[in-house]
Amino acid sequence: MAKILIPTPLRQFTGKQDAVTVGGATVGEVLSGLTAQYPDLKKQIFNDEGKLRSFINVYVNDEDIRYLSKDATATAETDTISLVPSIAGGSVSAPPEEATLTKDEILRYSRHLILPEVGMEGQQKLKAAKVLLVGAGGLGAPLGLYLAAAGVGRIGIVDFDVVDFTNLQRQVIHATPDVGKKKLDSAAAKMQAINPALRVDKFEVALSSENALDILKDYDLVVDGTDNFPTRYLVNDACVLLGKPNVYGSIFRFEGQATVFAYEGGPCYRCLYPEPPPPGLVPSCAEGGVLGILPGTIGLIQATETVKLILGIGTTLVGRLLLYDALGMKFRELKLRKNPECPVCGDHPTVTRLIDYHQFCGVPQPSQQVPVQETKVNEGEIDVLELKQKLDRGDKFTLIDVREPHEYKICNIPGAKLIPLGEFPQHLGEFSPEDDIVIHCKSGMRSAKACAFLRQNGLTHVRNVVGGILAWSDKVDPSVPKY
Amino acid sequence: MIRIEAEPWDAMVAHARETYPNECCGAMLGSTDGDQKTVRIALRLRNAFEGAQAARYELRPEDLLAADKAARERSMDLIGIYHSHPDCDAYFSKTDLQNSCPWYSFVVLSIQKGEFHHANSWLPNADQTDAAKEELSY
Repeated sequence: MAKILIPTPLRQFTGKQDAVTVGGATVGEVLSGLTAQYPDLKKQIFNDEGKLRSFINVYVNDEDIRYLSKDATATAETDTISLVPSIAGGSVSAPPEEATLTKDEILRYSRHLILPEVGMEGQQKLKAAKVLLVGAGGLGAPLGLYLAAAGVGRIGIVDFDVVDFTNLQRQVIHATPDVGKKKLDSAAAKMQAINPALRVDKFEVALSSENALDILKDYDLVVDGTDNFPTRYLVNDACVLLGKPNVYGSIFRFEGQATVFAYEGGPCYRCLYPEPPPPGLVPSCAEGGVLGILPGTIGLIQATETVKLILGIGTTLVGRLLLYDALGMKFRELKLRKNPECPVCGDHPTVTRLIDYHQFCGVPQPSQQVPVQETKVNEGEIDVLELKQKLDRGDKFTLIDVREPHEYKICNIPGAKLIPLGEFPQHLGEFSPEDDIVIHCKSGMRSAKACAFLRQNGLTHVRNVVGGILAWSDKVDPSVPKY
Repeated sequence: MIRIEAEPWDAMVAHARETYPNECCGAMLGSTDGDQKTVRIALRLRNAFEGAQAARYELRPEDLLAADKAARERSMDLIGIYHSHPDCDAYFSKTDLQNSCPWYSFVVLSIQKGEFHHANSWLPNADQTDAAKEELSY
């Protein structure tokens, strides 16, 4: 015999009693006696096979019978039996019913819904999908707009930049009034204007080895819209480690590439490029320029692949590198194979956690790069203000501009002689060791190379203009346009 | 229909915000009158899940037993369980469903970026295959 405490919701089956005393020598007998006395209680506690329902634990006083003698646990008159459910849970794995479409959504997505390849099921998959965009720039702009419109339910964006006038030529998610605003806010506003049901998660950080896994883990797939090698390797490795597909795209001048990495045993970025190029060899868009429309084309190829991966339709770019040439208007593709020796996705990976990607790519941490305005003038360098004084005094010296002729047409410093860096060696004979030579370019990188070249050839009075013509525009002549 | 009084509601939201970015869990005590439930006390319980708690929680049966005892001592009922979903909507997930119990209301609080966003109450079925949304007011 024992007293059984009845949980609140079951009291409707026990004549509202909160405790019932039932005879029986063991827990099994007491529970059988209870359900014999109150038959309606039976299906609440036992399943169709007559076994205790899986969520119910039986306690005798404060002991779980699983650790006593289970059903055979002896009961005394003074014992109290409690039925305690096991309860757990968590936000992981959203149920499919949450993605059912509302009447408004059915109207909104009608052109998708009448495609049998998409249909209700596909549109619900899009609604349940979580996509992370790394970068809200050139590639991120068309991606953000079209994925929002297509009905992807949740889009995370990683970006810490603000909108700049030079972005507007291609980053169509940002408009002229957005200059100076955070790209995250500007992008999220446009995306939510297109689709108010969209959830945007904003990550105002530089993706790093410390935060990448944490940020990526909540998303189904990752779209790489970055413009630098350290982040590209970081995104790749994090996707491989987390088993998430990486929809890759990159652009340069008039050419672009796209593929899908790290998906279902396919190759990863490191299978294609095990090592980064030497620093400075591949110019960024800021250095090399880019056709404004190009990121639209490549970003939309990435968006197409993203939607196909979510829907599980078509043939994706896994194992194929798509190459696009805008000038020739040609698409080509290269076969990509998984490299068994790949350090991150190969048979015996040596990279099993995220590393220092700035060190790996041989470039300084962004935080270590000193802004142009605060750059110190070192040996062999000259500040733009000193250059101005030198010109005003009428000093006898040679000022050389090593940029390209089309850059010289945009703006130049009066009196500077144009010798593009590539043609520099042919002009070596024009200089003599006594000459006082000052060299500039756009920001000081190319002119530093020209200075080093002259010094190697025995010319000693050579100085590099710190910050180039950009610094000249900032500090000396604001009428000189920046580009 | 479940109504949560201001004091326990504030306590639940505070608990969920304090525990962010992890999931919190607790018990709701109060009274029932037919289908009308009123929560008067929110009782914090320990998240006993072993492992990362950002997306998981687990209640120890002992703690639930203690919560039931606390209710009986106050002549109240154990009405439901609450837990939080950090940076996630207040849906009843598959994990929630598979580890649920049809006896109680399950209130889920969505905490986004550390702040309360929205909440839902769920009534799972006995087979743990589905949960119905319960009208919730606070």
